Amino acid sequence: MAECDAEWELCKENIQPLRQGRTISALHQALCQQQEGNQTALNQKKQAFESELRLYDGDDPLDVWVRYIKWTKQTFPQGGKESNLSVLLERAVTRFTADKKYHNDARYVELWIEFAQGIGTLQAALYIAWSEEHEKRGNLKMADSVFQDGVKCGAEPADKLHAFHRALQARVCRQMMSSMTDQQRDEDDDDEGPADPQRSSLAELKARGKKKAVVPINRVSASAGYARGLQFKQPLGPKQNSRLAIFDENKAETEPQEPKFEIWMAPPTARAKENEQKPEKWSNVKLPLKSRSGLSVTVPPPKPSFQPFVEEDDQPPTVTPCKINPAVNPVLSARKPCRPEQTPLKKLQERQQLMQLQTQEDGKSREQSMYCRELLDSGATEFCFEELRAERYWQKHTH
Amino acid sequence: MTGANEFKLTQGPDDSVSAVKFSPASAQFLLVSSWDCTVRLYDVSANSMRMKYQHLAPVLDCAFYDPTHAWSGGLDNQLKTHDLNTDQDTIVGTHDAPIRCVEYCPEVNVMVTGSWDMSVRLWDPRTPCNAGTFTQPEKVYTLSVAGDRLIVGTAGRRVLVWDLRNMGYVQQRRESSLKYQTRCIRAFPNKQGYVLSSIEGRVAVEYLDPSLEVQKKKYAFKCHRLKENGIEQVYPVNAISFHSVHNTFATGGSDGFVNIWDPFNKKRLCQFHRYPTSIASLAFSIDGSLLAIASSYMQEQGDISHPADAVYIRQVTDAETKPNYRHSDCAVIITVIVKVVVPVIIAVIVTVIMVIVAVIVQ
Repeated sequence: MAECDAEWELCKENIQPLRQGRTISALHQALCQQQEGNQTALNQKKQAFESELRLYDGDDPLDVWVRYIKWTKQTFPQGGKESNLSVLLERAVTRFTADKKYHNDARYVELWIEFAQGIGTLQAALYIAWSEEHEKRGNLKMADSVFQDGVKCGAEPADKLHAFHRALQARVCRQMMSSMTDQQRDEDDDDEGPADPQRSSLAELKARGKKKAVVPINRVSASAGYARGLQFKQPLGPKQNSRLAIFDENKAETEPQEPKFEIWMAPPTARAKENEQKPEKWSNVKLPLKSRSGLSVTVPPPKPSFQPFVEEDDQPPTVTPCKINPAVNPVLSARKPCRPEQTPLKKLQERQQLMQLQTQEDGKSREQSMYCRELLDSGATEFCFEELRAERYWQKHTH
Repeated sequence: MTGANEFKLTQGPDDSVSAVKFSPASAQFLLVSSWDCTVRLYDVSANSMRMKYQHLAPVLDCAFYDPTHAWSGGLDNQLKTHDLNTDQDTIVGTHDAPIRCVEYCPEVNVMVTGSWDMSVRLWDPRTPCNAGTFTQPEKVYTLSVAGDRLIVGTAGRRVLVWDLRNMGYVQQRRESSLKYQTRCIRAFPNKQGYVLSSIEGRVAVEYLDPSLEVQKKKYAFKCHRLKENGIEQVYPVNAISFHSVHNTFATGGSDGFVNIWDPFNKKRLCQFHRYPTSIASLAFSIDGSLLAIASSYMQEQGDISHPADAVYIRQVTDAETKPNYRHSDCAVIITVIVKVVVPVIIAVIVTVIMVIVAVIVQ
């Protein structure tokens, strides 16, 4: 046990925190088992849970899942792939979707919360909350891209989303503007308002406010802020320009005639210096791939102009642990390995699509599996007939 | 139902049959392991049980090491060897979970066991003792030996090819080319490849050589499906056995049918009558004259009542097991005749006629 205490001290950083905490004894046990490389007990326990999932005939099947998941979390403090937790959660959550009984069961909802990194993707509320979170942390770019994602996904209600998006842009503009004015005041000494840059920026807002008769701190339809935002953002990149053009249609006519237009032409270039690109060969330049947010521009890492020195006798070992010739390996695998960076929602969607496809196929060819397919599929890992039968055998012969 | 070329073994097991294996020396002896916790040795020619030994739990597989030694393992996690001369048991070792497969590799002289504890263990049959434990990525469901190579089929549709002479690494990691759970893998007697069957009425013929042109030859086909009222019922394919001489193979499904296939011409050679219940295991005798057929319900559809379990011994003929080359030869000859001989004859006749006409005109 003493070594295990040391063990716990040594791998603290590898232990994922759990909301409900960890029992120290389970942690000790898990760490000890891992240290010894003793997988047998784990596998046996896992197998026991799996067979219980299939052979349970009480009136609370969720209980088995909850215990299984709880055990998994306690036993694999590092998380990771071998814990199989994401698969477990997914299976547990999808299994009882049709079961009205569990819809308001606290345990089931908790499973959903844990699983759901992708729930509510069609709700404007999600994007609003998400974006506000980004904004709070000062990541305005992300906040904006979150809104764009929302629009792209067609989140409802759309007008609410747009309203909040505009409000965000207004806030961003105001912020930028104030910083711009600061800058300009610093640069241009002959400007008439060297006394207080803050005040002048407010004055401008007032001037705009006259037209619309709105208070300077305008959260919804800040036409002034918005219009300036357009001017500011233009030099930042073609993507943004085209994106903002969508919102142009409302007030495109009035804004360009703004008196301040010329004045604000200068600062953006100064601002854009930050992102200025170095002169380079144009023929080699590739258009950035269309990224999800539409904002990030991927710049391929430059190739080193020098040849890394490799010692001549530094040959790779002739006996590698994996003897598969990479050239011929693809021939042997029929499918691509699944990508680990998939989100739970994506997996769920793919699974549903697959199921739909399968049911369509089944409908077409009208196939019927002549074995207990549901039973074999109902756990997180695969079972065969013999394993099920063995479980039944032990149930019969131990009681 | 059983004709002159087939009979049912008397004194059969009391529960489902898990495996049938013929002796490597003669077609006379057959090992039968069963869920009734026994392994039985039958004298097929006399249709009598010669010997029987017990495990602590149901036995999932058995194999001959030599004509006088049987090896078996099952739900009790124990690997046993039984001397068939002295009727003596020895526990060779254990796995951490039930032992699903037992095979003998004569090339390397080693017994191989695969278990649900996600490992394959090798055993030296002479001592006998453990000769190594090799972790697999998943529970082992089936394995087969092709010369000095070991083909392991696990859960998660994985197939691993090991070199029994050098178990330091996995020679090939493959994925089953079939979409559903792997039920059985058996290697070609010519060691070129293996046949894999899945839980959803499909069989794949695969080759071990990873080169592109060889891999192009692999294929899969549907079988063990019955059409009933417009619905195609798909049955698991539980058993495969190769004819050691002709390299043809028999498959047995939960539909109760046994088919014999010619993998080279991609043809079915024959189908036997329907057996009372699922085919759990198949075994050709070493000379290829007999086929042992275990018709035994495997609880594929739950623990329900079912026809009695039985082992049938069937005499098979060359017509049923030999690739039918004569047929294709005929076809080749006919096409040659049509394409070459006929035009030549016509040409000859035409020239003769023209010569005659020319002579008459002159």
